[in-house]
Amino acid sequence: MRVIKGILALVVAAALVGACGDKQEEVTVGLIVKRNTNPFWVTMKDTAEATADDDDVKLLTAAGTSDVDNASQVAALASMTAKGAKGIMITPADSTAIVPAIEKARQAGVTVIALDTPTEPESAVDALYATDNQQAGELVGRYAKAKAAERAIKPRIAMLDLAPGITSGDLRHQGFLKGFGIEDGSPEIVGSVETRGEAARAEAGLRALLEKDDGINIVYTVNEPAAFGAAQALKAAGISDTDVILVSVDGGCEAVKDGVRPGVIDATAQQYPENMARLGVDALADAARGGRKPAGYKNTGVELITGDAASGVPSKDVAFGVRNCWG
Amino acid sequence: MAGESLVPAQAAVPRAQKARLVYAGFGVPFALLVLCFAAWGSAANLTDELVGVFRHIFTMSNFQSALVQFAYYGAYFALAIPAAMINRRFGYKTGVLTGLGLATIGGVLFIPAAEFLAFAPFLVALFVLAAGLSILETSANPFAIAMGPEESATQRLNLAQAFNPVGANIGVMLGAVLILPNLTPEPAKVIMTDGQLRTSQEADLNLVLGPYLGIAAVLALIWALIALRGMTTPAERVQEQGEVRGGVFGRLWRNPHYRYGVAAQFFNVAAQVCVWSFTIQYALDVVGVPTEDAGWYLQASLLLFLVARFVMTYLLGIFRPTLLLFLLAALGVGLSLTAVFAQNMVGLIAVVAISLSLSLMFPTIYGVALQGLGEDTKFGAAGLVMAILGGALLPPIQGLIMDRSGTAAAFIVPAVCLALVAAYALFDLRTKRHGGPLVTEGAH
Repeated sequence: MRVIKGILALVVAAALVGACGDKQEEVTVGLIVKRNTNPFWVTMKDTAEATADDDDVKLLTAAGTSDVDNASQVAALASMTAKGAKGIMITPADSTAIVPAIEKARQAGVTVIALDTPTEPESAVDALYATDNQQAGELVGRYAKAKAAERAIKPRIAMLDLAPGITSGDLRHQGFLKGFGIEDGSPEIVGSVETRGEAARAEAGLRALLEKDDGINIVYTVNEPAAFGAAQALKAAGISDTDVILVSVDGGCEAVKDGVRPGVIDATAQQYPENMARLGVDALADAARGGRKPAGYKNTGVELITGDAASGVPSKDVAFGVRNCWG
Repeated sequence: MAGESLVPAQAAVPRAQKARLVYAGFGVPFALLVLCFAAWGSAANLTDELVGVFRHIFTMSNFQSALVQFAYYGAYFALAIPAAMINRRFGYKTGVLTGLGLATIGGVLFIPAAEFLAFAPFLVALFVLAAGLSILETSANPFAIAMGPEESATQRLNLAQAFNPVGANIGVMLGAVLILPNLTPEPAKVIMTDGQLRTSQEADLNLVLGPYLGIAAVLALIWALIALRGMTTPAERVQEQGEVRGGVFGRLWRNPHYRYGVAAQFFNVAAQVCVWSFTIQYALDVVGVPTEDAGWYLQASLLLFLVARFVMTYLLGIFRPTLLLFLLAALGVGLSLTAVFAQNMVGLIAVVAISLSLSLMFPTIYGVALQGLGEDTKFGAAGLVMAILGGALLPPIQGLIMDRSGTAAAFIVPAVCLALVAAYALFDLRTKRHGGPLVTEGAH
């Protein structure tokens, strides 16, 4: 019995020692997202909170009231700096207008990382952690090309873009063209329309393009709301999912489950907001404790998700997409 | 098998009367034996979670990861007869020590397996661990009976076996708390270099290592305490195996209730292992439940199984067992098909609820198949226990279907298994059969 008691005492002592762990010095870090209602930003915030908890970081968070609310972000930068944040992650609502406020924070010794969206100029921040949008576009372009070859169809392409001058949309557009092996103005392209990433505009835009050429068999969409809008337009025109290759970018949960899984969307390039937040918190905590200061651009990853893989194009299945989707 | 003891415990043990629970001086040995029951419950259900964990760590197919169950239940099947031979020749204490020792070695083998950073060494470790647990389980049941007066044998055995589901739930909780939430997030792997991936694999395998080493440590401790203690029971009753009288195989084979019963038990165990092995994958792949939360759905399944077992025990006293078996198997088919087609939270709830239908199957099929076998009962019981082979063979098939047609579609496997169980119940309901009371299976 004494043996058992002795062993139990040892186990309890070991558990207590283990429970104490090696607690690090707490540092303060901030996260400013565009708004708290979009699942992309919610995922980013949730991951930042979980990582901060693991890293002994006190996390301050703030959000604007809309995707273009610059004033709230300026105020949040000042407030977090005043509260002693050693580093701040920000998803700029206005890439140019936010720059003076960022410079002010950096002058106060705060390390700033832009997440998802670059500032204009990019050098306004210490580092940018974001999806390689060109790579995302290229992946869906390669997929569309491989599937067109597999189905032996003559490509008739509709491009449902974001809006002129928005970097992420432009990069995805250029990436798609590169992946497909064509250029702006190539005869395969029926036309391009501005959707602003909205379903209704995408639906109307594709309807207009279908009136111009009802033989459209490949549809590129800049994001998944636009893809769902395109799917509506195709359905209204009596065109089956199987007759058109519909590709998109983002990898949100709704699109993967209700779009890619049933085959409405053939493939989407999935991005990872949780990587942006996790890497951001880790880097800022490390820098605040005397480690290396984050610098330059970090690609936070992109994977092609499809239920119908194309030969020669690396992709992940729908299960992977569901496991790692955001929202 | 996960959550329950497989060895027929006390087909012929008289009801307990006013008698002491164990012989004088056997309090501590009995307590140690009780720990064994909990230990193999923990190991079995922790292994259910490993199917998903290894898929994550080694980025392998579902078929490959399901080989975990092939190794585990394959070992149980392969060692069932050698275990009985050890007990017969050397006694239960030797059987228990052999089982504990082998299982401890299996647990310790996780250390070199983790060093190799490869899947195959883990399968070897799991096989050895399960081989040990198979011998342990085969020996511990009759050993518990031999530790006290025959009059209190049922009480003693039921008390010991009550700790098996406790251990099973602890096993799932170990995985849900210590392993799943701490695995390297899958999106993080997307941007890792080869070196970083290797480091993350090492870290994740160390998470697996911890609980198994813990179980091995407990088993080693029990081994030492039993080995150092004089534990020869006053009348260690190595149960008479007797001579297998000529014609027993033929008699059993000619009895369709028994023959189909073995098949039904094969598919019941298969359905159970399939459902529990892939519950976490359904939560992750189909519904998108975060990894850190997915283990709790398996935990809910086990708790439902446990509670339903008590409810079913009550209902079995009211309704004809095969009628209940038919209804619950049909319910299980419906729930499995819901999982196939719903592909959302409703589907996941259906997957969890399948445990309700599974709860009465093992003991009911056991009793119905052995009913009226008379002197052939013991031999027949061995066949029913060996039907555990279903738990080794069907999960890889389900994994294969998952790889080809998706996680939800693969739940057609438990649907088919449960339909065959329902067919067996229907067969019994529609066939006039011999008399004789139902044989009870003490573990349940």
